[in-house]
Amino acid sequence: MFRMILFTQWKWSRLTVLLGVLAAFALPLLSIQHAGEPDPSTWEARRLLASVQSWSVLYPALATTIALLIALAAWGPDHRGRHVYALSLPLPRWHYALQRFGAGLVLLAIPAFALWLGAVLAARTATVPMGLHTYAGALAVRFALALGVAYAVFFAITAGTTRTAGYVLAIVGGIIVVQVLTSVAGIELNLIPFLGDRLLLWPGPFEIFSGRWMLIDV
Amino acid sequence: MSHAIDIRDLHYRAGKSFEIRGLELRVPTGSLYGFLGPNGSGKTTTVRLMLGLLRPLQGTITVLGAAVPREIPRILARTGYVPEQPHLYTTLTVAEALTFHAAFYPTWDWTWANELVGQFNLDRSRRLAQLSKGEMGKLEMLLALAQRPELLVLDEPTDGLDPVVRRDVLTALLDYVSQQNATVFISSHLVHELERICDWVGVMDRGRLVAELPMQSFKNGIKRLRVTNPPALPGDTPFVVLAREAGNGGSETWTVRGWQAPMSQYFDGVGASLREVIDLDLEEGFVELLRTFREPRT
Repeated sequence: MFRMILFTQWKWSRLTVLLGVLAAFALPLLSIQHAGEPDPSTWEARRLLASVQSWSVLYPALATTIALLIALAAWGPDHRGRHVYALSLPLPRWHYALQRFGAGLVLLAIPAFALWLGAVLAARTATVPMGLHTYAGALAVRFALALGVAYAVFFAITAGTTRTAGYVLAIVGGIIVVQVLTSVAGIELNLIPFLGDRLLLWPGPFEIFSGRWMLIDV
Repeated sequence: MSHAIDIRDLHYRAGKSFEIRGLELRVPTGSLYGFLGPNGSGKTTTVRLMLGLLRPLQGTITVLGAAVPREIPRILARTGYVPEQPHLYTTLTVAEALTFHAAFYPTWDWTWANELVGQFNLDRSRRLAQLSKGEMGKLEMLLALAQRPELLVLDEPTDGLDPVVRRDVLTALLDYVSQQNATVFISSHLVHELERICDWVGVMDRGRLVAELPMQSFKNGIKRLRVTNPPALPGDTPFVVLAREAGNGGSETWTVRGWQAPMSQYFDGVGASLREVIDLDLEEGFVELLRTFREPRT
C-alpha cells in the first residue's frame, strides 16, 4: 500500500526531486569556489568564510522550495478529484494522510543525500586554511531537518481546503497590515521583528532555518 | 429480511438551499436497488453519506451490518464504488491505476481484472487523462468489480455513455451479480435503464424519499384509467387518485396508484364506467409520482 502511494507521489514530483538533487549537490561545491587557492593566509581565510557565508542563505531557501513543491504535489491530484478517491479507499483518513506524509519524507531524503554527497566532495577537494574545518555531515543534517520542518508545515497547509490556505494568508497579511498601519501612525509596535524572533530563534519552531549554514567554518 | 443498507432518520444540510430531512431507506440484501430521482434531488449526497464521505447532522446509517462512519474502512473494503464524476488520478496509466487500486483491496481478483481489461478493450499503457469518457466509465466499473465486493454503489454509472459502452458496463455488472449474489445500489435518472435491471426502486425528490417498493409493485400499481361519466368528487376511493384530466365527451383520464382489478366495482357504485385500464411504464409512473409529491391532490 505504502509502496503504491510512494510510487504515485514519485510520479507527481519526480521533476522537483531531480532538480532538487542537482541544486543540492551543486550548492556546496559552488560555495567553496575560493577554497582551492594555494598558501592561504589569514586574509584568505576571512575571504573564504565570507564567500561561503554568501551562499548560506541559499540552503534554507532551497529546502523551503523543494518542500513546498513536494507538499503541493502530494495533495494536488486529490484536491483535483475533491478527495473522493482517497476517501473511498478502505483505510482511515489519518492513515492515508500519514502515508502521503511518509512518502514525501522518503522523496525529500534524496535531495538531502545529494547535498551530503556534494558537501563531502567539496570538503575533500577544497584546500581549507589552518584553523578552519569542514562540516559536511552537519550541513547535510541541518538541510534534512529544514526540509522536514518546511515539508510538515506546507503539507499541513496544502492538506486543507482553499479556505484553510486563505485563513493562513489572511493571518500573515493581517500582521503585515497592522505593522504598516502602526508605523504610519507613529506607534512603536515591532510586531514582525517580535514574531520573527519567536519563530526563528531558539526555541522557535523554525530555528533550523536561521543561523550559520556553513560548509567551512571555524 | 436483512438489509445491506439501512438508513434511519437521516438529516443533512448543504448550504441554505438543500437539505435531506428524515430519510429512511432500506436496501434488501441481494437486491438490485434502483435509486431514482431528478437532478439535484439528493441522490449523490445520499450516496456520499452512506459511504462516509459526508457527515450527517443526525440519524444512523448501517452498511453491510457496520455503522457509518465508525466502521467505514471495513465497509469500504467490501464495497465497490463508482462515483458520479471520474475521480481517479489522471496522470497514471491504466496499468498503474489497476496496480494502485489493487494494493488497497485484499479481495482483488487479478485474473478477472485482466479479463475485463480485454473485454472492455482498454489499453494498459494509456494515461487516464487520454481516455475517452466511455473508457473512463468502463475503467471505473472494472475497478469496482475486480475487488469482488459484496455491495456495489454506483452513482450515475452510465450517465453520458454511448449505448454500446452502456451495454458493456451493464452486462459486466449483471454477470457479476448473477455469480456473486451481491447487492447493487444504483443511482440514476435514466428510468428505462433501471426498469430493465432493478428489482427494487426508491424515488427521491427534494431531499426526501417519495417511495420505496419492489419494482414490480411500482410498475403494476400505477395505472391510467379512462372513465366516462366521472363523479365531480371521487369520494372515498380504494386507490389513490394522482391526477385527473378532462377528455372528450365528458370522459376523464385518471392516473391512480395502488390499483387492483377488483377495484373497478368502485365506478359502478358512483355511476361512472371504466372504459380502459392502461399500464404505465416506469418513466410515466415516476413522473406522475413526482408530480403528486410536488403538488399533492385529493
